[in-house]
Amino acid sequence: MISVRLGGVGVLVALWFFAGAEPALAQAGDAAAAKTVYERKCAGCHGEKGDGKGPAAELLAPKPRDFTAGLYKIRSTANKVPTDQDLLRIITDGMPGTSMPPWRVLGEKDRWNVVAYVKTFAADKFKEAPKKLELPKEVASSAESIKRGKEMFEAIECHKCHGTEGRGDGPSRAELKDEWGHPIAPANLTRRWTFRGGATRTEIATRLAAGVLGTPMPTFIDSVEKPEDIWHLTNFILSLGPESPHYATLVAITAVSDPIPDDPNADFWKKLTPNNIPLMGQVIVDPRNFNPSIDLVSVRAVYNDKEIAFHLTWDDPTQSTDDPGKKLYGDAISLQFPPQPSPGPERPYFLMGDASDAVYLLRWENGKGVTESTANGPTKIATIQGGEATGKAVYANGQYRLVMKRALASKDATRPTFTPAVFMPVAFQAWDGGAGETGARMSLTSWYYLRLEEPQSSRRFIIPPVVAILTLAVMLLVVRVANRRA
Amino acid sequence: MRKVIGTLLAIALVTGVALVAHRPGPAGAQGGGTIEATVTYAGAPVVEKLKVNKDTEKCGTEASIEKVVIGANKGLANAVVSVPGAKGTPKAMKATVDQHGCKFVPHVTAMTPGELELKNSDDILHNIHTYSTANPSINKAQPKFKKVMTEKFEKPEIIKLTCDVHSWMLGWVAVMPNPFFGVTDASGNAKIENVPPGKYTVEAWHETLGKQTKEVEVKAGQATKVAIEMKK
Repeated sequence: MISVRLGGVGVLVALWFFAGAEPALAQAGDAAAAKTVYERKCAGCHGEKGDGKGPAAELLAPKPRDFTAGLYKIRSTANKVPTDQDLLRIITDGMPGTSMPPWRVLGEKDRWNVVAYVKTFAADKFKEAPKKLELPKEVASSAESIKRGKEMFEAIECHKCHGTEGRGDGPSRAELKDEWGHPIAPANLTRRWTFRGGATRTEIATRLAAGVLGTPMPTFIDSVEKPEDIWHLTNFILSLGPESPHYATLVAITAVSDPIPDDPNADFWKKLTPNNIPLMGQVIVDPRNFNPSIDLVSVRAVYNDKEIAFHLTWDDPTQSTDDPGKKLYGDAISLQFPPQPSPGPERPYFLMGDASDAVYLLRWENGKGVTESTANGPTKIATIQGGEATGKAVYANGQYRLVMKRALASKDATRPTFTPAVFMPVAFQAWDGGAGETGARMSLTSWYYLRLEEPQSSRRFIIPPVVAILTLAVMLLVVRVANRRA
Repeated sequence: MRKVIGTLLAIALVTGVALVAHRPGPAGAQGGGTIEATVTYAGAPVVEKLKVNKDTEKCGTEASIEKVVIGANKGLANAVVSVPGAKGTPKAMKATVDQHGCKFVPHVTAMTPGELELKNSDDILHNIHTYSTANPSINKAQPKFKKVMTEKFEKPEIIKLTCDVHSWMLGWVAVMPNPFFGVTDASGNAKIENVPPGKYTVEAWHETLGKQTKEVEVKAGQATKVAIEMKK
């Protein structure tokens, strides 16, 4: 009996030793020392008991992790147990696209202690040692590899959740739930900077191979045709979108001399550089929108001597029109301007103006088209009769593309006139009606500026050489006069 | 005379040993009795319907989630009837669940600890997502080209099977500690054979109606009828 007990202790000690020694850089965190840090920094969302039911939890989507389940989404292991290094990385870098911020503000020692503390909520789950995931031999990206990745993407039907072009708009989207029963959205694969577990090649390949625990994302290491397909898929996913959104600070509007096409899919628009504008949830007035659906709009804009046109692109996983009975509303987007640009820094209140200063809204809504209106706050919107703006939108694979046009010059004081070379305030608002967004439940921006770039005339090719020749002539003259006097 | 008796004894012994050695099935099966269980439920059937928005050529346009299926004479289908107290070694057997028509077929599978064969005869992506505590839970993609997967369930427990691609798909795998179990058919009947004689508690489990038990006495070579009524 004693020997059995001793044997058991021996195994435990060995396990403990092994688990402690396994991750290369891991430090043995002191769980007890982290209690204060945890209660101050983590409990607000994750709860004092680590059950993910902190006071802020109900406002968050995705929900904060329930540590008592010992189930971790992001891990570099083949079994369910993450390494200490995995946990430390999430604490240090946070989880993009969620409410989990990076906690570099804590010292490294504190972060290691928090790792140890978090593990105590599901101590039995950590009795098993983490098992290293062996990824297949890496395949570098190439046109061929991306092609194979696309084939595999289709064969294993990633589109069922992630959509044909990867925007998270697949047909199973609405049905997906995590293991706690909370709705969960598939990743938009064109937005690498929102990947929860990071966007490096190895991180993406690891998610594919080992899955995301507690979510519908399964493991694929044994479910691809050949192991190296994991890397072909990774290379394909990396080809779906840019590395970062490169947010714009100013919306530059290009001058053109030709007619502007109405078709949002026209090649004309593809040649223009997009200005990417980030949007935030509206959390100032009720009803607030803590988890906005639309967080980015790409703006391309041009003008000619008659009209100005805005080409807007944004992702929306569901196309919806107004159907309040089903809690569905028309998808919409609007551009906001001051009715008359003022020379100073004074601008109306960015949240659709207020009682004293109105704003002008150029809005498109699915099913209703383009309207022009005057707003004195988000609930006081009056449509301008005799609007002259037009618009055409297309929706495909989880993305809207819209062209809105209006005359450059305004006929009255409720609408702005667009003048070249003047900085003009502009703000954006967007609604994903399929996610129940309507009225004040929107995503928005603060004021930005747009500027109609002056037409580039051929004078720039003539004046500089003329100036150069004149200068040379004057110099020669000076030299000649000087020589004569001498 | 003694020689004769001795020889006879020896023959009897050898035969006996041979019989024991060749005895089929679990220990104690020889001379066992049969339990004929009927599980009933007086309530209404529960079937949830869902409009299908994908793979309609395989799944149909309307999916039904059959939570309570009732047949003739209030017989309750898909209940697991078992005799937890009976002694017997689980024999190795391979259970199979097919994903067919975007349903787990059968809806409830009972097996002794060991391997479960998971088939995908739909030619579309499914993912096997299990909810279990004693056995490691799994979430593995089973694309159309992966026709069969084998998973091990070593510990007795009732495991929920789901597919996230088709959220209505629901199945159960009951891993049982001994070989004395059955799953009720469409009219609520299940037969458990070769149960060693003795007094037992028979248990019926249903995914939404929970557990009910009943005491029975099994006699060698006889069939014992037991009626279990499930209550909400």
